[in-house]
Amino acid sequence: MISTRLLAAVIFVVAAVYTYYGNTYTVSFGDVLGPSVFPVIVGVPAMIFAGSLVVFPGGGVQWAGRTHLIRQGIALAVLLAYAWLLKPLGFPLATFGLIAALAATLGGPAVKSIQLGAAMSLCLWVLFDQILGLPLAFLGTIFGA
Amino acid sequence: METLSLLASGFTVALSPLNLFLLFSGCFVGTLIGALPGLGPVNGVAILIPLTFAFGLDATSSLILLSAVYFGTMYGGRISSILLNIPGDEPAVMTTLDGYPMAQKGRAADALALSGVASFVGATVAVIGLSLFAPMLARAAIHFGPADYFALYIMAFATIGGVAGVDPRKTLLSALIGLMIATIGIDPISGVPRYTDGNFHVYDGIEPIVALVGLFAISEILVLLEKHIKDRSKAIPVDGWMPSLSTLLSTKWAMLRGSLIGFVAGVLPGAGASLGSVMSYSMEKQASDKDGTFGKGDPRGVAAPEAGNNAASGGALIPMLSLGVPGSGTTAVMLAMLISLNVQPGPLLFERQPDLVWGLVASLYMANVTLLILNIPLIGIFTRLMAVPTWALLPIVAAVSFVGVFSISNSIFDLEVMIAFGALGYLLRKMDISLVPLVLGLLLGGDMERNLRRAMSISDGDWSILVQSWISIALYALTIAFLGLSAWLAIKANKREKARNLAE
Repeated sequence: MISTRLLAAVIFVVAAVYTYYGNTYTVSFGDVLGPSVFPVIVGVPAMIFAGSLVVFPGGGVQWAGRTHLIRQGIALAVLLAYAWLLKPLGFPLATFGLIAALAATLGGPAVKSIQLGAAMSLCLWVLFDQILGLPLAFLGTIFGA
Repeated sequence: METLSLLASGFTVALSPLNLFLLFSGCFVGTLIGALPGLGPVNGVAILIPLTFAFGLDATSSLILLSAVYFGTMYGGRISSILLNIPGDEPAVMTTLDGYPMAQKGRAADALALSGVASFVGATVAVIGLSLFAPMLARAAIHFGPADYFALYIMAFATIGGVAGVDPRKTLLSALIGLMIATIGIDPISGVPRYTDGNFHVYDGIEPIVALVGLFAISEILVLLEKHIKDRSKAIPVDGWMPSLSTLLSTKWAMLRGSLIGFVAGVLPGAGASLGSVMSYSMEKQASDKDGTFGKGDPRGVAAPEAGNNAASGGALIPMLSLGVPGSGTTAVMLAMLISLNVQPGPLLFERQPDLVWGLVASLYMANVTLLILNIPLIGIFTRLMAVPTWALLPIVAAVSFVGVFSISNSIFDLEVMIAFGALGYLLRKMDISLVPLVLGLLLGGDMERNLRRAMSISDGDWSILVQSWISIALYALTIAFLGLSAWLAIKANKREKARNLAE
């Protein structure tokens, strides 16, 4: 209940800010409606529905246990790290890290996860870069490539 | 007769070497995605879309590939339902009810072959229906004006969440969030940048494909991480693939009934393949369960839902192609691809791009034959590949999603957007808010706003234009009736739950 209320409240605030800014877009030319009416049409009902979920939340949220939450946090961090390290490290090395780390987070045995990362990062590079022709840098910018 | 000559020209498109290759690989990949538990049709199709862009495929070829994958997942979903008692994807849930008991009795090969044939019958009925009814619907939709389209989109948002078991407020809120995201970027009519905060990355708006991959693929990883991951139960071994003809013949009426019910469910907005299989199964149970054999391995209980979900997935293509309004999650994702390639589905598509429409229809006929071969004699390949554990599968899915999104624009910002949408999708799913209306809002938002503004320009600012045509009045009436029905069902379910809580 609390979680649904909290998340709905966040959506309500976002919709309110959205509607407020939507109302400020004005132009003196163009079509009859202009750029601000549609955001208001969308934003106001969004506020109403989100608000009604704050007051009458339908159904509760079952959060995962602490270990699972930690694993989800690790997974998100791994994904973000991959986005930021892809260019510096190059595709195979970064992808090795991504696959090995995610596999281990998902409960794969450590050695097998590393083997999977090593094998699949190379396979994917060969498949996409060499065979299918999508340019994926083999070495990243930190190697001077 | 006109349909036949159009279909013949469609076959010339579908038989080009590239399209044939895409068709076969799509069928194979689709069956595999369907068979692997944890990867459903929506995720599978969403991950593949960026790759079709990266390879520079045109709209026809991309659509052929994705439809082959889509049909393949519907065939493949049954494999793990029958052998593992774990549905490979959501529409295959009903197949576990009688498929797994059948396999436990040592009739795994029969169950697989039977459901393969049932899938073929269902999908073929749907493709025939598609060839006949889609052009008719498109011809009717040509009379739609801007105000009618606005009404149609509102109906699509209200109905896509389905009628039962959902809180209509959540469906609508999801659609509105999608519409809010759709307005980010430069307003195409006045040129005013909206909600961009001066960030030039979002001047073109949020790329729907990037958002989709995040919403479906990345959030799926987060959802699976909270489940207790354990080794899967061992699959029941399969000996041989030849179906027994007498079993097959005994289910012919179940297949046909299932196909027809599934097809209707697929065409209706908001139903989709899952509801198609549920309806086919329960109707078949009512019609033929005389000796109480359903749920204990009755072949008819395998045939009906399989025919139903395949027929529904074909039927769901009809509103997507002829109205531009998808009836299910997977067709919504396919619509995203078409819009990103500047193909606007709808009545004009049938006039302007007959090659695309009829090439797709012809491909679907061929995909069915291909899938029948893949899924009966070659079933052994998939039962072996199905043994890949989740911890090994999902990281590869993540890597392929990254490759696809990165190759669209080589932009790190897109990767960040994808991850952010993954987290958003996860939170919304935790709140029991379906993501499909959000995707629909994100996709149709631009067009919905344009139609509204066009209608208002025609009427010079008079809002009553929105309810002046019979088409739009009928659409609003249907929308209100639908929302009323689902609100009533939601309140009833709520009361029942409260009563149960009190009783305890």
